[in-house]
Amino acid sequence: MPKSRRFFSARVKRDLLLPALFIAPALAVLLSLSIYPLLYSVTISLQQQTSTGVNWTFGNFTRLVSDNFFWTAMAHTFVYAVVALACEFLLGLGLALLLNKQIRGRGLFRASLLMPMMLPTVVVGVVWRLMLNPNFGAVNGTLKQFGLDTENLTWTASPRLAMLSVIAVDVWQWTPFVFLVLLAGLQAIPQEPYEAALIDGSSRWQTFRHVTLPLLKPAILIVLLLRTMDLLRVFDQIFILTEGGPGFATETISLYIYRTAFRFFDFGYAAAMSFVLLALTNIISAIYIRFLQARETV
Amino acid sequence: MIIFADNMRLTILVALLLVVAGCSPNGPSNRKELTLAVVSGVEGDALKQAALDYQVQTGTLINIAQFPYASLFEKELIDLNARTGAYDLIMLDDPWFPRFASEQFLTDLTPLLVKRGQPEADGDFVRTSLALCRHPYETGPLYALPYVGNSQLFFYRKDLFEKHSLKEPLTWNDVLAAAKTIHEKETTGANGGQIYGYVMRAAQGNAAVADFMPIFWAFGGEMFDAAGKPAVNSPEGIAALEFMLELGKYSPPGYPSFNADEVGAHLLQGTAAMSINWPAWISRFSETSKSKVTGKMEFTTLPGAQKSGQAEIGNWLIAIPRDSQNVEAAMDFLIWATSAEQMKRSAQRGNPPTRKSLFYDAELLAANPAYPAQLSSLETSRPRPRTPQWNEIENAFGIFLSKANSGELSPAEAMNQANAEIEKILQRAR
Repeated sequence: MPKSRRFFSARVKRDLLLPALFIAPALAVLLSLSIYPLLYSVTISLQQQTSTGVNWTFGNFTRLVSDNFFWTAMAHTFVYAVVALACEFLLGLGLALLLNKQIRGRGLFRASLLMPMMLPTVVVGVVWRLMLNPNFGAVNGTLKQFGLDTENLTWTASPRLAMLSVIAVDVWQWTPFVFLVLLAGLQAIPQEPYEAALIDGSSRWQTFRHVTLPLLKPAILIVLLLRTMDLLRVFDQIFILTEGGPGFATETISLYIYRTAFRFFDFGYAAAMSFVLLALTNIISAIYIRFLQARETV
Repeated sequence: MIIFADNMRLTILVALLLVVAGCSPNGPSNRKELTLAVVSGVEGDALKQAALDYQVQTGTLINIAQFPYASLFEKELIDLNARTGAYDLIMLDDPWFPRFASEQFLTDLTPLLVKRGQPEADGDFVRTSLALCRHPYETGPLYALPYVGNSQLFFYRKDLFEKHSLKEPLTWNDVLAAAKTIHEKETTGANGGQIYGYVMRAAQGNAAVADFMPIFWAFGGEMFDAAGKPAVNSPEGIAALEFMLELGKYSPPGYPSFNADEVGAHLLQGTAAMSINWPAWISRFSETSKSKVTGKMEFTTLPGAQKSGQAEIGNWLIAIPRDSQNVEAAMDFLIWATSAEQMKRSAQRGNPPTRKSLFYDAELLAANPAYPAQLSSLETSRPRPRTPQWNEIENAFGIFLSKANSGELSPAEAMNQANAEIEKILQRAR
């Protein structure tokens, strides 16, 4: 007993005690709200409820392999994320470059551009659901005014248009966020490199390519990373707009996980799917960081 | 610094008060207390009102937890599964019932009735409504009492049927013929636009399944064969889906994404002539502020085909969770709330009753002229297939119905794939 007491000298003890006390509450919260649920979800993903009780098994993970709904939902998620991300990034970058200049009414433009982002996603979903209604909606109403035949433009009801519609709504809502981050990035770039480029006689494209883009890279990295993670777990606007339909045409992985957990009460399978999604998100994020950091050092 | 100290003191005071409040007993211990989980909307509101009346009459303390339809099921199932005993009475939509009953989450009501000198549930309840409250269906022990007696009705535009001298829609072929005629002749309808012959919900999930089942049953389809194997891809089932697509030709574009709201809007705006719908919509057709077709609608029982027409039943039930701490008080309330007198008040608040006598009540009949049709629809109605896996099966079936309606799959492909998927769900449950 005396030996183990001497393991920490009195001084070390004193030095450790106070910081430990300070950290304790944060640690307790982290453990109870984050670590414990995570470990718990690992255990339920390895369990299956049967009529005789609970079985420990990899069944939830092997079931993934043959589940067509799962793979289709995964494919939808990736199509959704890639297309929406590309549109949001290009539009956001263009707008940021435009509004970084001294133009008339810049403040007004900036403020109005931020509007969609400030609306709750659920509100956005409901508003667009009404606007895209093929019979009473504002979108088809406007197109009709221009003499277009809107008979077949059933935005959320045709398997082909539905994905386009949900992507368009995401682009509408989240381009402002990309714009905002990139604009902040642009404004943080000092004037000197531009002056140097001007003196070297570089063209506008060359300046953009070799001065603006490299210096904007940190902002680009952040915005791409945040949007990708958000897009991969998209739920609310699709849930409101199409509920994954028509048929299965816009069902993303989050919707399918939600349904499995809270409609069918199969938490084990839902947890297994969530872990696959988590792993994929992590891999993609790591690739981003690698890729953009590597190029930065060149 | 002084301000900070004051704030600190205030915070500590509030925290202490909260702790003290948390420790104090919830009122005098001899006072009875009941907690109800009810659904948002007219069905839950009626029960909530009744419960508050009950509180005034008996002094029983009533707590209400009200949830939107979409989250009520998960709240109740999580709670009952965790055996917290938080609720003494819960409202259930009837398709959820097999799941709750099969996992033995609910209190058997018969012993409680016997104790009160009533060996059986009241014979005044409509047979099909009471049958829903037993597990297994109709024959097993009684685990709930029916509160709201919804079942589907067939809505159609009487004025247009008269105008084009169309035959009353007794069969689905009558419906199709009428839809075609109206679609072709009413191209400059109420709003100067097309009146669609028919309108239906074919959004995946509950909507598509609910609007398809009456056609499916009338054509002789059955979801499960005698051995309990899925059989939606029978020739009758495929024919029924082909017929649904045929009706779709006379439905507004976009119907494969329609839910109740879109169907209701088309009917109220006078842009569609026929539909399957639920009784809750009836009263809106007499409100001139909402309806452009006041007095032009007729409500009747479902059309037939090879078999006579049958509506899907959709009743709200009230049950007592097994882990309630106040079973006796909950039973007293349950009997009171489903009594003829109280159910009449619920009917006046807009809910179809589940007691036969109330469908003949002169006062209610005067306010609800569709009651005779509602009663005969309810008495001949069918429940959705009674399986604990219904949510999952309905979801899968609905996806393939919606895919067929939006043209992604042919009716035969859709039914074959649906059948395979339902088979998988059943296998997993075994």
